[in-house]
Amino acid sequence: MKLIYSIYKEYKVLTRDRAGLAITFIMPTVLILIITLIQDSTFKSVNEASVPLLLVDRDHDSLSLILEKSLASSKFFSITRKELSDEETKSEVAKGHYFIGIIVPENTSTTLREKSSARISRLLDSFSGDSVATTRKDTIKLQVHIFFDPITKKSFKTTLTNSIERIISQIELLSMVNALTEKMKEDFPLASPTTPELGPIVNIKEEYASFNDSTIIPNSVQHNVPAWTLFAMFFICIPLAGNIIREREDGSAFRLLTMPGSYMIVILGKMLTYVIVNLIQFALMLGVGVFLLPLLGLPQLNIGNSLPLLFLVAFASGLAATGFGLLVGTMATTHDQSSLFGSVFIIILAAIGGIWVPTFVMPDMMRQFSVISPLNWGLEAFYGIFVRSSGISEIYPYVLLLIAFFVACVASAYLYHRFKRMR
Amino acid sequence: MPILVDIKNVSKKYKEASRAAVDSLSFSIQQGEVFGLLGPNGAGKTTFISMLCGLFPPPEGLILINGFTHQSNSRACKQLIGVVPQEIALYPKLTLWENLMFLGHMYGLSTVVLKEKIKENLNILGLEANRHQQINSFSGGMKRRVNLVAGLLHDPQLLILDEPTVGVDIQSKQAIIEYLKRLNSEKGMTILYTSHHLDEAQDFCTHIAIIDEGKIITEGKTEELIKSNNCNSIEEVYLKLTGVNFRDK
Repeated sequence: MKLIYSIYKEYKVLTRDRAGLAITFIMPTVLILIITLIQDSTFKSVNEASVPLLLVDRDHDSLSLILEKSLASSKFFSITRKELSDEETKSEVAKGHYFIGIIVPENTSTTLREKSSARISRLLDSFSGDSVATTRKDTIKLQVHIFFDPITKKSFKTTLTNSIERIISQIELLSMVNALTEKMKEDFPLASPTTPELGPIVNIKEEYASFNDSTIIPNSVQHNVPAWTLFAMFFICIPLAGNIIREREDGSAFRLLTMPGSYMIVILGKMLTYVIVNLIQFALMLGVGVFLLPLLGLPQLNIGNSLPLLFLVAFASGLAATGFGLLVGTMATTHDQSSLFGSVFIIILAAIGGIWVPTFVMPDMMRQFSVISPLNWGLEAFYGIFVRSSGISEIYPYVLLLIAFFVACVASAYLYHRFKRMR
Repeated sequence: MPILVDIKNVSKKYKEASRAAVDSLSFSIQQGEVFGLLGPNGAGKTTFISMLCGLFPPPEGLILINGFTHQSNSRACKQLIGVVPQEIALYPKLTLWENLMFLGHMYGLSTVVLKEKIKENLNILGLEANRHQQINSFSGGMKRRVNLVAGLLHDPQLLILDEPTVGVDIQSKQAIIEYLKRLNSEKGMTILYTSHHLDEAQDFCTHIAIIDEGKIITEGKTEELIKSNNCNSIEEVYLKLTGVNFRDK
């Protein structure tokens, strides 16, 4: 009964603090909106970037047309055609207007056809014992000139070069097959050959290593909604610590400590109320991710397959956050101390834990260091549910860590309180 | 009269302090007495009251409340005590009614009993009309009166008042003291009172102890104390025994 009245009291106090409530619910919403909008393009560059490409086509024939068509179908490039000199092309890329510039020289297609035809002739002639044919080689190499933006990372440059080389190889293959077909027609004029099959024989099956069939690619929404929700949940330590200090300063704690029964019931009531606030925050932020962000042109938050598991992680995170708030409120002697220490500590834990910058783009050392942050445990658990379709067997280590953090904070607060009283 | 509070050789020294905050304190408070504990700042009143309320145990000596110690039966001791702290220990965003309902429930009172108690106390202290107003809209005097009611909800046998009239207007002060006198005479409530208002203490207390540097320097019935020190008032006795020097640390 005392616990219920304690929760009711905290509920009344909280709901009448409009400024505090606004900070509790509006702050994470604004953070999610701003950071997601800012980071959306960055996440896209990791996942689905559209690389600006300048195509200088002096060939105007099959090779350049097929090249352009293949590049466009990859959806990896945004292609602009221009008639420029070599120097002008280089300059456009150097200025950063384009990430990549490709020059297809004049008569490339014609030369390619001729060379393909010559190669096929030499090959067939070698079957008929023409020893001279086998010793003749191509002396002139065809060249497609590619310029890269100097800031291009080596790995990305290699990826782009490989893509373009693959397309050109396919065009060369097509040209050779066409030349062979023509040659064969000369030798077998009455035959009616079928169109050669040039599609890939060996296919590569790509799959994200998730536990169920669901293969959700992480995007800015999938990262930022749980990340900033956790940040706001842990930020509740500041009003909670302030509440504890205010009760101590105005003598309420003294009065409550002189009453029969345990003061822990009052503290428990406080903590449960703030955990409930955390859960409401979490539900609202999920709503922002599912309903509001798509209206702004951002991807919709896919909340995975298990709502109970999501709320289990949110509950454990809420416990960890309120436990930390209790510890700060017990140890700090003034409001200034608690708000400064609380906010700075949460910001550090958030930075380490991958809230601001996701751990998958952190340097290796920092990635290893990130596992000490409770915000990282919460975030990894949410990633598990949102992205990897994890179940309870994969999530429970994070939940246990969060609960252990809560227990450690409460025990430390109790021991410190006892130590201060006995001094 | 039977003894309600018996203090036996109680001492407490804080770790950083050069002297004991409370030094071999021994006295008793009889049931129905209004006991004034007076002394300059830093004399040891707050430390003693904290131990009496059970916030921490006395490292030396014994504090008996109706025969119990906080260590042997904390619940029984706390049930006997009502505390009115010097600070306004109320929630400013809650209404008067919500504050008292919460605190009464924390004392373990049922809702029915609690409603009766609150109405009775509010009527006497002239606060009935303000029951649905938030505390932060109250004047200093009104807050003091509510602070007093909060300590009375469970009908304690021993009411501990730490400067209950500090910073209030004459009307509120009068109402508080008159109500306390009534509780003492009608219900036989024992009161332990600390204050720097020595004229108020002289008027209100039947028994006074003056404490300085952790020790009781004089104690007795109010009138006898004045006579035995050849003084005209408690203020004269107080200044005679504690001196006129500042007690700055």
